[in-house]
This record gives sequence, structure tokens and C-alpha cells, in this order.
Amino acid sequence: MHSVARPLAGTASLIALLAAIPLIFVVYKSSGLTLVKWRGLWQSRIPELFANTLSLSVLVAIGCLILGVSAAWLVARRDFKGRRVISWLLILPLAIPTYVFAHIYTVITADDGWLGQIWLVFFDQSLDIFNIWGTALVLILAGFSYVFLLVRIALMDANSSLEEAARIQGASPLAVFWHVSLPLIRPAIAAAMAIVVLHTLSDFGAVSMLRFQTFTLSIYLQLSGRLDYEAAAALSLILVALSFTFIIVERFFRRRARYFSQAQSRHHIPRKASKGELFIIWFWLGLICLFAFIVPLLWMLQWSWQAIISGAIDGRFWGYTFNSLTVAVLAATVAMIIALPVGLFHTRAKSWLSSTCLYFSSVGFVLPGPVVALGIISFAIFALPALYGGLTLLVLALVIRFLPLAIQSQEAAMQQLTPSIEQAGRVLGAGPLENLKRVILPMIRGGMASAWVLVFIDAIKELPATLLLRPVGFDTLPVRIWIEASEEMLELAAPAALIIVIATLPAIWLMTRTSVNRNGNKDEIASRGF
Amino acid sequence: MATEPLVVYSGRSDQFVLPVVKAFTEKTGIEVILHNAKSTALLSKLILEGKRTEADLFLSNDAGNLQVGADKDLFLPLPEALTADIPAQYRAPNNAWVGLSSRMRVLVVNTEAENTQFIDSIFDLADPALKGRLAITHSANGSYIAGTTVYMLAAGIDETRDWLNGMKANVAGKVFNKHGKVVKAVAQGKADVGLVNHYYIYRHLAETPDAPIRMVLPDQGENGIGVAENVAGIAISRHSKNIDVAKQFVAFLVSEQGQKIFAEVNREYPVRPGIAAAIEIPAAGSFKVSNVAMHRLGDERNRTFDLIDSIGMP
Repeated sequence: MHSVARPLAGTASLIALLAAIPLIFVVYKSSGLTLVKWRGLWQSRIPELFANTLSLSVLVAIGCLILGVSAAWLVARRDFKGRRVISWLLILPLAIPTYVFAHIYTVITADDGWLGQIWLVFFDQSLDIFNIWGTALVLILAGFSYVFLLVRIALMDANSSLEEAARIQGASPLAVFWHVSLPLIRPAIAAAMAIVVLHTLSDFGAVSMLRFQTFTLSIYLQLSGRLDYEAAAALSLILVALSFTFIIVERFFRRRARYFSQAQSRHHIPRKASKGELFIIWFWLGLICLFAFIVPLLWMLQWSWQAIISGAIDGRFWGYTFNSLTVAVLAATVAMIIALPVGLFHTRAKSWLSSTCLYFSSVGFVLPGPVVALGIISFAIFALPALYGGLTLLVLALVIRFLPLAIQSQEAAMQQLTPSIEQAGRVLGAGPLENLKRVILPMIRGGMASAWVLVFIDAIKELPATLLLRPVGFDTLPVRIWIEASEEMLELAAPAALIIVIATLPAIWLMTRTSVNRNGNKDEIASRGF
Repeated sequence: MATEPLVVYSGRSDQFVLPVVKAFTEKTGIEVILHNAKSTALLSKLILEGKRTEADLFLSNDAGNLQVGADKDLFLPLPEALTADIPAQYRAPNNAWVGLSSRMRVLVVNTEAENTQFIDSIFDLADPALKGRLAITHSANGSYIAGTTVYMLAAGIDETRDWLNGMKANVAGKVFNKHGKVVKAVAQGKADVGLVNHYYIYRHLAETPDAPIRMVLPDQGENGIGVAENVAGIAISRHSKNIDVAKQFVAFLVSEQGQKIFAEVNREYPVRPGIAAAIEIPAAGSFKVSNVAMHRLGDERNRTFDLIDSIGMP
């Protein structure tokens, strides 16, 4: 074991160091802040930012939990016509960037938007979403799919005989859910919550469009208005501390729940939905799909059509699409590969070093995009001038930003690897590399695929870091969306948003496939909703 | 000799720069790459990049940004001969940047709203009579900040503070994130008066010609401070490896042809005297403009931030 652990520890540490580049920038810059300025920040801004950021995170977490778990339960436990389509519609919101969501909702909830008009009729006042509720709503619609996705897989993998046993004993459906199903899916919920909350903490798209003062927005304003790197870095440092606290708490809960997810017979045939249940299913899931995907989709289709007939879609547009795909594929692939040693190291060796590696690798995800970009620019100018201005640096930035997503999903898969399986391989004479290739990799293939897909989806939407780090003249779809939107003509951005959704389709297909194949039973595909 | 394409870090919307770039390329055969992002972000990028920058030029919609960059010594001063035709108030003191087109900070008023006849100054926006009737953008907006700097310099810090406080009370926390939405709100009667750049009004009128709005050029009286203006402008990066070509581009932008195209696409005022602006906007010289040199928008910007922060403007 020792011979394997050392190179693994070394590799993981190196990767963590790479991921910590933006943090080093932040620490360095904030060290220049005088005590007086710290105190000024503390007294003037920080309490409000804390309150806003925390309450937004809590609201988004609760909302995503309610939407995601209810939808996952209905889809996993009840059989009904259209299950397959509904599952897709519940995942696809992931492909819509939060800034596009926010824009669409500001348009339709305005006094002359259709939702705003309905609201006016019923409540006799304007529907105002430029507040915490509106911001939370947008982030919930953009994020609940993570909960849906992970919880649905957990429910399908969970042994349903436990639930059936409880039913036979006379427990009510609610009691079964509360006492049997919920504990089984707790690890999945924890993992999904981590993704949702970290996305909320680092969100820039929704908070900037809806003007809700969180740490991210405030950091950006410090940077852009006063070019005050020190204050921005100080606020970033607090945001990192906040995020780490959250990660530690989440890890704690997950560790306690871990034993639930041990290997079990994985076969579950959902019961046919009764008439009453069908009504609930169609009403509730329909409502979610309507606001989370269909409304945005119609907006994109409508304005894309306008763009097509006005001839705005030309060869350059396909160039942007190609650029976006290139960057997202490269970032997803690199992140998937380098997450492997970090995840493996942390599942194998529970030490301060492996935990430190894990936290440092999460930094990119919790820091605001512009801060990550500025950190990487200064690092590259200083240490890697040859790479500066090239595609490599942009890919590196995206990898650093989304590495935690890759680590999270691989780790979940690695936790199923019991030491005995590996030892069996070793006993049979496999070397460490062969063991990796023949034993470990096949077992965590599903986790690696979802790692790839999660990073791909975020990378293809990424804006703030891409805007600053892309090579000169290299525009991606989000960059085009931003360029068109900056002169208040976001409608011109609709085709780019639509292409992002379309480009994400194969990735989501891949993810749902592997979650099925993991169980090696293709006949199950239909019954699982895919 | 084949010329390398010029790289312009551009904080101005693509669609308003492309026409002039196209004309330049047609005339000279030199390609121009527009690298878009927010002006302030590009400024940060230039600062961090230093010698390594690929930028030949920096184009911004805000004189404040240009002057902040000049103060950080990011730009190469332009030869006097190149900018001789552009009035001095539209240039950096050391000629590190030159203005290209000017926009006016004006009021948009709903023609059907009652009790709006008294509005002829931006300071009227603080009048309690406008409580709940005022539309403005949030205070992180670049044009808003530039305008506030002008008022602070022209009318004094105390009067500007009172003005901001009065507006804060009148908007009651509800502000818009885009100027276009301010105009729209006024046109639809959701608000009676708004504070915007002049071209947003004409952009709205081009789409809906019978919208019930009129423009008020504020502070025109004998003792009025005049309309606040701000310029878009350009500077050559100190570390450009293509300085002669970059100068050629600047020369084209300040030429009669370049000025006409650059300003007209966004219905702005060319800074070069004698070039007519878009026909629908009031002729330059027919109204009073405040007497603040544009470089002061950069010099005084942090004081403006302090003022806005101290009030807690939304």
C-alpha cells in the first residue's frame, strides 16, 4: 500500500497546488490591506453581505431540495406515460446559464410581460423580482436539476425491498419516504446540496442581473469600479472561508450517512401511477418543467427565429459554437483525469494532507470567476509567460474552476470501492497500474462520466473567466451572449443560448446512459425512464 | 510587408464599432480584431499584463476609464499632430487618449404625465413632487457615475449630495439595471421622468415613433451648469508592437470619414468640430454643455464612489 500511496499523495498535492493558484493571488493581494481598511470593510459591508449571501443560499438550497427530491421520487417510484420526456425536461435546465434565466425572467415578469400582467390582474401590483425572492427563484430553477439527477439515481439504485417491507407492515407512504427512502438517498442529497450551494455562493449571472448584493457582486464592484484589488481580495477570502465551512459541514453529514450506500441488489420496478397520482404528477412536474425549461426554451426559439430571418446567423456563429465545444471538451477531459488522483487519495487515505488537497482543489469553484481569471493572469505572466494568451491558459482556468465537480462525482463512485476488491486484484498479481486499469477504472466509469458531463455543462456556460482569459479574437457562445447583451439587446443572444442547450444534449444523454449501464442491464433502460 | 492584425481591447458594443472597423480595413487592408469585455475588466487586464499584452489599442465608452488607464501609465501619448483637430477638453492632458464621440446626459419625460412642466434641471429630480415617479439606473452604471462626477465638479459636492439623497427618496429603492428600461418605463407611463443618455431616447423612438416621450436638455438657463457629457475614446497601449499601424487607426477614427461613421451608428456627437451628427438629435452648439474637461472623470472617480457609497445609493 505504501508504494502506491506516495506517488498518489505527490500527484494529488501537485494538482491541489495548481488549483490553489487563485487563492494564492487572493491571499497575496489581501495581505496589502491595512488594518484600518479591513475594519472599514468589516463595519460597512461585510455584515450585510453575510446576511444576504447566507439567506440566499438557504433559500436556494430549500427550494432545490423540494423541487428536486419530489420530482426524483415521482419519476423513480411511479410509472407513467411520458416519464422519459419529463426526465429530460427536468435535467435540461442545467444547460441554461443563470444570466440567461435572469434575463428571461426580468422580461416576462415586467409589467408588460405575460407573467407580470397576470400578476397585476391578481395582486394589483407589479411583480418585482429584483430582490432576494426573485434571485432565489432564478437560482432554484437553474439548479434544482442537480438534486433531481443525483437523487433519482440514488432512488433507483436503492433497494426497494426495504420500502416494500415497510409498506407491508402498514406504514403510510409519507412515513415510508421519511423513515426508509430519505436515509437511503441522504448521501445523494448531500452531494447535490454541495453543488447547488457552491453554485449559489459563486453565482455572478443572476445576482448581477437582479442586483442582489452578495459577496460575488460586491467583489466584482470593488474590482470594476475602483480597481481596488485589495478590498476585492479581502472579500474573496471571506467568501472562501464561508464556502470551506460549508464544505466541512457537508462532508461531516455525508460521512455519517455513508454506510447506507453500500452495494445492494439493484432492481426496482416502479409501481404504475394511480389516477390521483397521475394528476399530481402532471400538475407538479408540468409546473416545474414549464418554468424551468419550456418558458426559457420558447423565448430562445422565438428570438432565434427572429435572428434567422434577419440573417444574423452567419459563418462566424458556427465558429463561436466550435470554439465553445473545443474549450468545454478540453476542460471536461482534463478535469476528469486530474480529479482522479485527488479523489482516490482522499478516499484511500483520510489524512490532513488528503483533506487539504481536497479543500484547495475546491477553491476555484467558490471564488468569483473574475477573481479566478485575474489570479491566473498574474500567475501566468509571472511563471508561465510562454502559455500566456493561448488556449491552454483558458482551459486551465476552466479546469481550476470546475475541478471540484469532477472530484465530487468521482469520489461518490470511489466510495463503492471497498479495499477488499482492490486487495483481491493485488493478491491475484496485478501491479498498481494494472489494478487501476482493470479493477478501479471499470468500477468508477459511471462516476468519471458524470464528472466529465458536469464539468462540460458548466464549462460551456462559463462567462466571467472566459471573457478575461480567452485568446485574442477567440469568442465563445457565452461571450457572444454577453457582447450582444451589453447593449441591451439580449434578444440577439438567444441563438447562442439555444446552441448551448443543444450542445449539452449529447452530454446529458451520455450521463443518463452511463448511470444505466453501470448496472449492466439494458432491459432496465425503459423502466428507468431512459 | 504583410501587417499583423491590430488588436483592440474594446469596451464598446461590437455593433457600434464594426462599421468603422470595416471602413478602415477596406481603406487600408489592415485587419482589426475586436477583443470585447467590460472596459474596467480590460483595464484590469492591461494592468496585470504589462509588457505581455497583445493589445495595440484600448477603446472605452467612458473617459473616466481612459484617464484611469492614463494615470496608471498604460498608454503611449499620441502625437499632437494626430489629434490637432480634436478640442483639448476631449483629450488627456498629456494626450494619452483622445475622445471620439460624445453623449449627453438628458431627461426623458412622459408627455402625458401631469405636473412635469417644471422639470428643466437634473436637480429637479430630487424634488419631492417626483416621489414614486422617477426612473434611474442603479449607481454602479458607468454613465451614472460619470454624470455624478460632472455635477459634483460643476455644482459642488453638497448640492450633489442633496440631489442624490432626494433621488434616493424618490425612487424608493426601485432602480433599473439598463438605460433602455428607464426609457421604456417612462414611455409606458410607469414613471414620469427618467435620467438617461440621449441616444437611448432616439433608439426607443426609432422602434416606436409615437411613444409619448420628450427629451429635456437640462440646466440650460443663464446660471445652469449645462448638460453633462461623457466621451467614448481610444488610446494606444504603451506595449503595442504595432505602434505605427495603431496610429494609423487612430488617425482614421479622428478623420472626417471615421468620425462620421463612429458617431452616427449610435446617434452620438462627433468630437471633431464641423462634422454633423445624426439628423434627429439636436445640433451640437444649439445647447449649453457643462464646462468640465473629460479627463477629470477619471481623476475624480474615487471621490464620486465615496459620495455614492456614503449615501448608500441603490
